[in-house]
Amino acid sequence: MPERRLVSGNYAAAYGALRANVKFIAAFPITPQTFIVEHISEFVNDGIMKAEFMRVESEHSAISATVSAEATGVRSFTATASQGLALMHEILAIPAPLRLPIVMPVVNRTVAAPIGIWAEYNDVMPQRDLGWMMMFVEDNQEVFDMIIQGYRIAEDKRVLLPFMPNLDAFILSHTYEPVEFADQDDIDDFLPEYKAEHAHLWPDDPMAIGVFSPPEYIQEYRYQTEQAMEASKKVIKEVNDEFAKEFGRDYHGLVEEFMTDDAEAIMITLGTVTSTARKVVMDMRKEGKKVGLVKLRFLRPFPKEELRKIAEKVDAIGVYDRSISYSAGGPAFVEVRNALYGMEKPVIGYLAGLGGRDVMYSDIKLMFEKTLEAAGKGKADKEVVWVGTRGVNP
Amino acid sequence: MSSTKITIHDLPKENLFTGGHTACPGCGAAILVRNAMKVFGKNTVIYTPANCLLVFGGTYPNISWKVPYHHVAFENTAVCSAGIKRALKASGKDDALVVGFAGDGGTADIGMQALSGAAERNEDILYIMYDNEAYMNTGIQRSGSTPYGAWTTTTPAGKVIKGKERFKKDVPQIMIAHNVPYVATASIAYPTDLLTKLEKAKNMKGFRYLQVYSTCPTGWRVPPEKTVEVAKKAVETGMWTLYEYENGKMTINVKPKLDENGNLAVPVRDYLKMQGRFRHMTDAQIETLQKWVNEKWKRDLALEKALQ
Amino acid sequence: MYEVRFHGRGGQGAVMAAQALADAAFIEGNYAVAFPFFGAERRGAPVLAFARVDKGKIYEKTQVYEPDYVVVLDDKLPLMVDVTKGLKDTGMAIINTSLKPEEVELGRAVKTATVDATGVALEVLGTPITNSAILGAFAKATGVVSIESIKKGIMDIFGARIGERLAEKNARAAEVAYERTSVGICKGTLIYPEEKKWLPTAQEFPTGGALGLEVKTDAGLIGLGSFVENKTGSWRTFMPVADNSKCVNCKLCWFYCPEGAIEMLMNLPESEIPAGTGTDPKGNPKGIKIDYDYCKGCGICANECPTKAITMER
Repeated sequence: MPERRLVSGNYAAAYGALRANVKFIAAFPITPQTFIVEHISEFVNDGIMKAEFMRVESEHSAISATVSAEATGVRSFTATASQGLALMHEILAIPAPLRLPIVMPVVNRTVAAPIGIWAEYNDVMPQRDLGWMMMFVEDNQEVFDMIIQGYRIAEDKRVLLPFMPNLDAFILSHTYEPVEFADQDDIDDFLPEYKAEHAHLWPDDPMAIGVFSPPEYIQEYRYQTEQAMEASKKVIKEVNDEFAKEFGRDYHGLVEEFMTDDAEAIMITLGTVTSTARKVVMDMRKEGKKVGLVKLRFLRPFPKEELRKIAEKVDAIGVYDRSISYSAGGPAFVEVRNALYGMEKPVIGYLAGLGGRDVMYSDIKLMFEKTLEAAGKGKADKEVVWVGTRGVNP
Repeated sequence: MSSTKITIHDLPKENLFTGGHTACPGCGAAILVRNAMKVFGKNTVIYTPANCLLVFGGTYPNISWKVPYHHVAFENTAVCSAGIKRALKASGKDDALVVGFAGDGGTADIGMQALSGAAERNEDILYIMYDNEAYMNTGIQRSGSTPYGAWTTTTPAGKVIKGKERFKKDVPQIMIAHNVPYVATASIAYPTDLLTKLEKAKNMKGFRYLQVYSTCPTGWRVPPEKTVEVAKKAVETGMWTLYEYENGKMTINVKPKLDENGNLAVPVRDYLKMQGRFRHMTDAQIETLQKWVNEKWKRDLALEKALQ
Repeated sequence: MYEVRFHGRGGQGAVMAAQALADAAFIEGNYAVAFPFFGAERRGAPVLAFARVDKGKIYEKTQVYEPDYVVVLDDKLPLMVDVTKGLKDTGMAIINTSLKPEEVELGRAVKTATVDATGVALEVLGTPITNSAILGAFAKATGVVSIESIKKGIMDIFGARIGERLAEKNARAAEVAYERTSVGICKGTLIYPEEKKWLPTAQEFPTGGALGLEVKTDAGLIGLGSFVENKTGSWRTFMPVADNSKCVNCKLCWFYCPEGAIEMLMNLPESEIPAGTGTDPKGNPKGIKIDYDYCKGCGICANECPTKAITMER
């Protein structure tokens, strides 16, 4: 029987690594990810997790060791947040072209300056171009499930790319929620042992991985990585459906639509704001307002086709961002608008919750109302709207 | 101390680091790597950071290494090597030797944090620093391991400042301070000493650190045929001391010639005049360096006495 | 616009020559650019450098594929690489050699200027560095830039790198070479083997680029242990020659050779040991065999041999 317990998002991530039979972990503590490292330490020291665990001296070393361990041919795991992710940046560029299917949850926290410890996506957004699959979860159940699904997707021979589930600092990492942990046997059936055929560092079958390369070869590496990222879209859906069948939870793959069928205005959201937005949509629907919600689960691969299909049936689109690309708007907004190129629909970017400021029910309702207004007028008054900023009218 | 001496005559014929590599003629690092691989054998995994060896040992798709080979970045040799070793352990291949081959810049400077972390954790790897006393891969810039007075492209012999103003960083002593099982210095010009240390380090468990003096004729402005001669002179003048630290004990393996007062007999000037990188040095600078060498030699002797 | 490709070896100063030429053309009121081959370079390995000169701004930021002139700093390079590759029919090759243009062998019969730049350099500079002398020949043979400007270019570029005094000597070397340059048509008799390079399509490319041990392809070996395909013997200027009768089998040269190009006769099968080879006290055949495919001519073996059994010859 699956076991159900009340646990934090950090625990769900650590337990996900345990249940995924991870053989190697290298990690460094950073608020608010610290409990992931602590829980893994407990699992290893209590002997319930049979893995090599390197308590390294920095995040740079954590990802370095994880890359090399994965290149050696074993299922490897690390986790970080914020400044730690920024410190990893150089090495984050390594696993995708080398096709190393690492899974690394990131607890999204603001990157200094100014220094803070609460939720913001300015840690993860600068990592978008490095070939990692990047997705955002909504609750702790999804944290656990996406560690398991993450390895299954990443290790698929059509993909072989690193996988990064993102969970909001404190809102998930330190929040206790009921989570169902499937039976180990069922997880093992769903996620078989990793067989490193394409890349391994074994003396009895030697390989060179990461050789200095002239321009004659690097462009083919890039193209191959891009093809793998595109191929991951299909694999993500397949794995989602198989998981849903096996374990009864359907996350709908790349994006999840909520009450979009006859919607005039929709909001596209990332992370935990999605959860509050569901409530707003349900309430506004009761008021007769035709609003809907799209949970943008994957930012990489980017679900361009899915978003265009959804956009066709609505009149205006709002996009929520928890970080800003200065002078361009929020990164998700920029990407969504790019995907909808040529469709004559107003797209509005909303910035809220930066630095971990709570995104209130009323903030989200305001986003829906403004988007609805744009749907009525056929145009947006403003491209980028700051919500909840003192001295700035939304 | 247990030690089976390994000489040139004990080396096998097969090269696990092949010819065709693109090191400069007379490269000291190439001498080290080729012979070290003969000691290590096939059950070895190699990591190199971004350094000359990365480039001259393999440019895609051609590679000199005949054993598993890996590169990730510049500053993480110790931790990537440790990651490989731990992963091999996790997959039941624990008998393989993992060796990180880094230069002095990748070790004394940018790689120091990862090196210190891996040493403190006593990761089961062999870390070899080939010391050619500057960033040679990027074109001869000063590193923490560059000696006092030396010309590099970032310590030029200018009108006001001539060469490097600081002294060479003593990385082996930093490693000894980590209390690891084995730390040794060696030189390409002392084959038996070098091979014996490589063999010993290969067979030990835990973190082993070897720093091998490896002439760079291009960067030192030395004719390529003098690679070994310069390396010998470094030991004779006390610029480089050959010693090892094993389980808490330190032994100086090759003692330079001393005068009747117990001071170094061969002046450092004899070493400097062989190399273009020291050509600009003033008498005052040479005197400063001589003083530093004398003090370093006394300190090495005192440490040997203390660590028994 | 005219475009120039310089052929040299790492350390010979081909890049500085390209820069000095561009500077000379710039002094004459032109727009000029000089740039190295976009690749990793090691001392001794064949390298390329380029220059472009035009009256107005040059927008091309690509390498030069169809040069008007090729300048060859090292007389052995034409044996390794087809220096006339892409050279325009109206173009010219400027070559450092003691031969007359008509005696020079290249891949195509092209207009050729020759000068013994090595001889000039030894005479004027005291070292065989030919990057300044060859520029004098360039000025004389092409007429597109004056020798006065070349000398100024050398003063600017070389002066900043090696000091004014040495730069003056280099300017002098250019001047001497200018006077000794002759022009004619070379012989197009050299045939180059077809260049074989493993260039997989994006679909054929190995997953993650990982390569195994000595993988066979139509273009030769790739992967671990495949650098043996790179015959670095062509880098050599001086050549070690062994007198095996003096050898004592100490193996020092075998140990010290950075290339692994020396093999002990005792390690070879009997069939490969020359008749008349002596034996050491243990009864092993005495001596070494040098693999000139890889020997870069560094000279460590000769310098370290305790019995002086190895000598370096040109």
